[in-house]
Amino acid sequence: MSSRDAMLAKIRRNRPEGPALPDIHAVPFVTFDDKFAAFAGLIRNLGGEAVMLAEGQTVAEVVARRWPNPGRVVDLTLMQHAEAFTPHDWQDVDIAIVPGDLAVAENAAVWISHPDNIFRSLYFLTEKLVMVVPRDKLVDTMRDAYGQIAIREHGFGAFIAGSSRTADIEQSLVMGAHGAMAALVIFC
Amino acid sequence: MKPENLYHPDAAREFLADGARARWHDQAIWFVRQKRDAQAQQLPEWEELRKLAEQIKAHTLSRLDEYLVQFEENARHNGVTVHFAADAAEHNRIVHQLLAARQVKKLVKSKSMLTEECGLNPYLEERGIEVIDTDLGERIVQLRHEPPSHIVMPAIHLKKEQISELFHAELGTEAGNNDPTYLTHAARANLRQHFLTADAGLTGVNFAVAETGGVVVCTNEGNADLGTALPPLHIASMGIEKIIPRLEHLGVFTRLLARSAIGSPVTTYTSHFHRARPGGEMHIVVVDNGRSDILGNPDFYASLRCIRCGACMNTCPVYRRSSGHSYSYIIPGPIGSTLGPSRDIRKHGSMAFACTTCGSCSNVCPVKINLHEQLILQRKRAFDAGTLKPAKKMGLLAMRFLTRHPALLDTAGKAMRKVVPILPAFVKDGTAWSRPGRELPEMPEHSFKELYRRRQEDKQ
Ligand code: SF4
Repeated sequence: MSSRDAMLAKIRRNRPEGPALPDIHAVPFVTFDDKFAAFAGLIRNLGGEAVMLAEGQTVAEVVARRWPNPGRVVDLTLMQHAEAFTPHDWQDVDIAIVPGDLAVAENAAVWISHPDNIFRSLYFLTEKLVMVVPRDKLVDTMRDAYGQIAIREHGFGAFIAGSSRTADIEQSLVMGAHGAMAALVIFC
Repeated sequence: MKPENLYHPDAAREFLADGARARWHDQAIWFVRQKRDAQAQQLPEWEELRKLAEQIKAHTLSRLDEYLVQFEENARHNGVTVHFAADAAEHNRIVHQLLAARQVKKLVKSKSMLTEECGLNPYLEERGIEVIDTDLGERIVQLRHEPPSHIVMPAIHLKKEQISELFHAELGTEAGNNDPTYLTHAARANLRQHFLTADAGLTGVNFAVAETGGVVVCTNEGNADLGTALPPLHIASMGIEKIIPRLEHLGVFTRLLARSAIGSPVTTYTSHFHRARPGGEMHIVVVDNGRSDILGNPDFYASLRCIRCGACMNTCPVYRRSSGHSYSYIIPGPIGSTLGPSRDIRKHGSMAFACTTCGSCSNVCPVKINLHEQLILQRKRAFDAGTLKPAKKMGLLAMRFLTRHPALLDTAGKAMRKVVPILPAFVKDGTAWSRPGRELPEMPEHSFKELYRRRQEDKQ
């Protein structure tokens, strides 16, 4: 018998009784009167910042005001963007502007997933990550978020909350462990 | 790897010899526990969430074989290869074969307690493959050639001065520069070169979703992401218990994990891997290594609900004062103290006694594992298996004898209350109760029973 079949047979033999699956929607979860305020307040502690785009303002303007000397910028929200041949091509990107499908008020996370998976490394190699989310795509909790995302379709997706960080040295919080050193979420 | 025959009381005594460091360790970890409490208080549904998580996991264990098959089918449908490994040796063999067939010279690894459990690093290194742990804390302990002391904060036992010295020697950082930001960024620059030049990436798995055939990995650093987006080969290693039935259940577990673990509302990156990057391939190794035995044990199978948040160790008064290195199993603290003895009672029996039975671990556990009750049962097994040192065994036998003979217990208690206060200091100093930093308590004049009886009489 293969390891697989032997393992499954043994698990089957040993498995205990258990309850039925609970209905996770039967329980009321927290809601926020002002989802943007909750999101923006949280992300500050997570090494990020959130802004609401003003009338007539563009994403490019917000980014330029925040980082006047941008360096290499890759903007995936545009139809036309730089070509990559290997995932390593993004190693010198300073600012990546990427579309986010939705944002979560309870933890300041943004769901990022792109049909062209060659861009996957960009989110983590860039120095600064800008996530652009439609303002009506702000939900209360992760439960609502998972109700809205189609996870399999692109092969990879991530919730990203703020910037890469670590506290592995004496519990001191340091921004910029391996991924982006700064994160900016723009609701448009 | 942990040293053989580690005996918790001895190893803890060694750790406590440096009082200042022990106090610091206790406080640093208690701070994380407090952050966890603050997060829990912010969600009115916290207790409901724990209940849902418990039920989902308990249900999954009751159909584990079915969910594993469903997971395998869906993963295959996504173009991912699933392998099954009965034990550590098979896991290591599978990983090595995958790497060898693709001439992998360098593997970047994201924190995975499972590969630590399997002893993967030395296995691969003996076969000429360079293994780089990429989680900062994990990298630190790798460079020091020691095991992690905590499952979420692997280097929590170290002071920044020690890390500064290590990085000076290993990475050429400035001598005496102890600034955590400076040190972290030096490690970042060094590890980025490894990410860019690695031929394969290996990650652990936080959750595996049967319904979609994908795995979820949670990190704050983004190391799992760089390690899988750059090299062409991604191997994910998971224990059989990581399965959850549906995608929507992530809406329960991702809310509990980081809050319980580090007191943060979520990890920076909660990444969902369902296919390899373009031009790459993805493999998942599903590992048993003793888990199905625990599954068949009615006293202990609930320990398989664990999501490895570490909250139980952060709250444990014994863990905080003895550090992860004093536990003989690779996973320390309350959860390790039931998992370890479940695997090998002879080797890990002493861990079951590293517990005050205060129950704090069971109270914080996001999947409501009855940890302290399991530890009591593990003690019984340790006793029955004859793993106790003679003094401890005699003490327990005497206690059992006394508790079965109440009149004798009363007399013994009375004698103790009379005799201990007049004992000369040198006799008292020799007991387990009067090590440096702790003294025998003052003996009360009356026993609890006497006080209770008097109160009842007063009431009448
Ligand atoms: S036993 Fe519970 S508290 Fe401890 S690590 Fe596992 S899930 Fe967390």
